[in-house]
Amino acid sequence: MTTTTDHPVQEASAAPPPAPGRSPRLTDRRLALVFISPAMLLLLTMSVFPLLWALYLSFTDYSATRDAPADFVGLGNYTTILTSPEVWQRALTTLVYVTGAVALQTVLGFGIAYLISRRARGRGVLTTLFLVPMMLSPVVVGLFWKFMLDAQFGVINSMLGSLGLGQVEWLTRQRTALLSLIVVDTWQWTPFIMLIALAGLTAVPAYLYEAASIDRASEWFRFRHITLPLVWPLLLIAVMFRAIEAFRLFDLVYILTSGGPGVSTETLSFHVYKVAFLGFNTGLASAYGILMVLVVIVLAQIYLRYLNKLKEG
Amino acid sequence: MRYLQRAGHRSLPGRRARLATAAILAVTALAACGGGDGGGGEAEAADGPKAPATIPELTDDPLTLSFIWFEWPPAQALEDFANAEYTKERPNVTIEVNTVPNANWHDAMFTQFAARQTDFDIPILDSQHIGEAVTNGNILDLTDFVDENIDVDAYDPYLLAAYGQYPQAETGQRDEDASLYGLPLLGDTWTMIYRKDLIGDEPPETWDEMIDAAQKCQDENPGVSGLAFHQANGSDAAAVTYNTVNGVYGGNLWNSEDKSIEGVINDEAGQKAMDVLVNEMKPLTAKGSGNWFIDEVNAAVAQGKACIAFQWIAAAGGLLDPAQSTLGTTEDEILDTLGFATLPTQDADVVPLGGMGMHISAYAPAERQAEALNFMKWFEQEDIQKKWAAAGGVPARTDALESPEFLEAGPFNQVYADSVSRMRDMWNVPEYAQLIDIENTNVNAALNGAKDPEEALDDIAEQQQQVLDSSGGGL
Repeated sequence: MTTTTDHPVQEASAAPPPAPGRSPRLTDRRLALVFISPAMLLLLTMSVFPLLWALYLSFTDYSATRDAPADFVGLGNYTTILTSPEVWQRALTTLVYVTGAVALQTVLGFGIAYLISRRARGRGVLTTLFLVPMMLSPVVVGLFWKFMLDAQFGVINSMLGSLGLGQVEWLTRQRTALLSLIVVDTWQWTPFIMLIALAGLTAVPAYLYEAASIDRASEWFRFRHITLPLVWPLLLIAVMFRAIEAFRLFDLVYILTSGGPGVSTETLSFHVYKVAFLGFNTGLASAYGILMVLVVIVLAQIYLRYLNKLKEG
Repeated sequence: MRYLQRAGHRSLPGRRARLATAAILAVTALAACGGGDGGGGEAEAADGPKAPATIPELTDDPLTLSFIWFEWPPAQALEDFANAEYTKERPNVTIEVNTVPNANWHDAMFTQFAARQTDFDIPILDSQHIGEAVTNGNILDLTDFVDENIDVDAYDPYLLAAYGQYPQAETGQRDEDASLYGLPLLGDTWTMIYRKDLIGDEPPETWDEMIDAAQKCQDENPGVSGLAFHQANGSDAAAVTYNTVNGVYGGNLWNSEDKSIEGVINDEAGQKAMDVLVNEMKPLTAKGSGNWFIDEVNAAVAQGKACIAFQWIAAAGGLLDPAQSTLGTTEDEILDTLGFATLPTQDADVVPLGGMGMHISAYAPAERQAEALNFMKWFEQEDIQKKWAAAGGVPARTDALESPEFLEAGPFNQVYADSVSRMRDMWNVPEYAQLIDIENTNVNAALNGAKDPEEALDDIAEQQQQVLDSSGGGL
C-alpha cells in the first residue's frame, strides 16, 4: 500500500508515470488541463469576461445605442440607484414576491413530498406527474396562466362563476396581480422543493422510525424529532436555490402583468430590463445588475454560514 | 497520502500563476472596453450615412430582402403582396417579413442596431422611433433618394413627414428643409366601432354623446359593456388612449419648441381628459379589461360584448371574419351589426396618428440596401399603392387614398381617408421609448385604481420632463 510509506509528502508531489501507450509529456496534470480547458474557456468568455465588462461599464455613462464616448462617472451610477425611491419600491415588491413565493413553495413542496414518501405504490408516477410544471418553459407557463386568469374569458373566473362567486380581476388589481404571480410561480416551482425534500425524506434511515415505533412515539413526535431535523438542512438548500431564482424573476412578470397595474408588480430584474433596453442606459443598467449580484452573494453567504452552523450544531 | 498537498498551503508558483491569470483577465477586459468609447467605435455623425440619389446597380443573383415588423395581420399581407407583385419586376428577389410580438418590437430592432449588425434590411419603425434611430445613425438618410425618385407632391405633406422626417414636423405640416429617413408603408388611425343594432345607425358625433350612448347601451343590455379600448401597460396601449382623449379635450402632450412637458400635458385640458378617461369611460368597460390591447378589444367586439370600441384601423380587418365573430355568419351580416366611424370630436378635432414607415438599416450589405431602395421606389408608385390598398394595406399617396380600390376595400377605409387631416402624432425624439413607458405605466395605474388620476398625470409630467431634461439619462 502506498499510504504506508515513510515519506508520504515527497511521494505525493512526485508525478505518477504516464499510462502505457501515452506520450511521456502528457502527464496526468496536463491531461487534466486539456480536459477542463474547454469548460474554462467557455466560462471565461461567457461569464467572467461579461461580468468584468459590466463592472467596468457600471462606472461609466455608456449607452449601447448612442455613438458617444463613455465617460467615467465614478460611483455616480451606484449612487443614483441606491438613492432612487423607484428602485426601493421595486426592491420591496421583489422582497414580498420572494418571501411569499418561496414560503408557499416550501410548505407545499415539503407537504407533497412527505405525503408521497409515505406511499409505497405509485410513488414514481406521482413524482413524475408533479414534476411536469417544472419542465415547462416559463413563457409557456406565463401565457397559459394569462389565459386562465383572464377576468372575462378565463377558466378560473368561469369556475368561480359556476360556484356562484364573483369575478376576480386577477391581473389588473394591485393586490391580486402580485398574488397571481406568486401562485403561478408556486405552481411551477413547488415540484423543485418537493423533489429535494423527497430525496431527503427517502434518505432518512428506516431504523430510526423502527426504534421510535418500538418506543411507541406518536406520528407528530416522529415527524418533529426524526423527519424534520434530518430533512431540514437539505430543505434549506432548496430554499436558497429557489430564493435566488425568485429574486431574478423576469419572464413571468413580462408575460403576465408587464409589471402592472402601473408598476406594482415590477420586480428589480424587470426594472433593470427597462433601464437597459428602453432607455439604453447601459452603464446605469450594468451598475444595477452588479448591485443585484452583490445582494445575492452577500445574502447567500450569510445564509450559508447559518447552514454551516446548523450542520455543526 | 498522495493528496496531502491539496489540503496544505498552495505553492508560491501556483499563487503567482493564479495572480497572473487574474491580471491578464482584467487587462483583457479593460482592453476590450478600451478606447474610451465603450466599444461603440468611433463617434460618428449623429445623422448616419446617406443613401445615394440614384439606385445603384442591382444584383441578378438570388436575394432575400428582410423586413422586421411586429406580429399582426398587415405583416402577412405585406409579405404576400410583395412576393406576388414585386417579384414580377425582380424575380430573383424574395421578400421576408419577420415578425416579433408587439411588446418586443422596439427592443428587437434597437438591440440589433446597438450591435451595429442587423439581420433585417428594412426596419419598419413606428413614427416615433425615427428620432432614436436617426440620432444613433442606425438608418440611412433618404433625402437625396426621395428628391430624385419619389413624387412627394402626391402625398399629404404631413403623412410624408410623419413617417420619414426628422426632426419632427409640426402637426399637419412638413418641413421641406428637413431630412427624410423613411417612406410611408402603412397609414393608420383609430376608428370608432359601434353596434348599429344597439346604438342606432348614426354614430355619436361628440365625445360626451359617445359616453352617454355607451352608458345607455350598457344599461339596456346586460352582459354588454359600454366601451372597449386599449388599457394595457405594454407597447403604447394605455398611452395612446390617454393621448387621444387629451387631444379631443383640447390638450397637448408637450411644447416641442422648448421641450416642455411639465405644465403642458397636466394643464386644465389634460386634467379634464384624465378625469373623463378614468371616471367616465373606465366604468363603462368590462371588468378586468385593464390589460386589454388590440386582440382583447377585437375579441370583445367580435363576441358582441361591447357597444362601442376603439381600435386601430389596420387591426380591424379580423372583425369582419365570420369565423371569428358571433355577430353574423357572413361579412354582410356582420356589417349590418357593426358600424365604423371617425372619432367623435369635443373641444378639438384630433385623432391619433398610427401606422409605420419603411427605413433602411445602415448595417445592411450594400447590395441589399440597393434592393431596398428599389423596393421603396417601386412600392410608392401610384398603381402599386392602389394594389396595396386592394390587398388590405392603407396607402399614403393621396391618389391611392381617394381611389375606389382603397375606399371599397374595407368598410373602415373611408374612416381613414376622412381622418388624415385630423391626425396628431406623439413625440418623435430619441427618448421616445422612455416617455411612452412613463405614460403607459401611469395611465394604466390610474385606469386600474393603483394611482389617483390627477397624481398619475402630474407624475407623467414630472418624470417625462426629467427624461427630456437629462436627454434620456437616469432611471
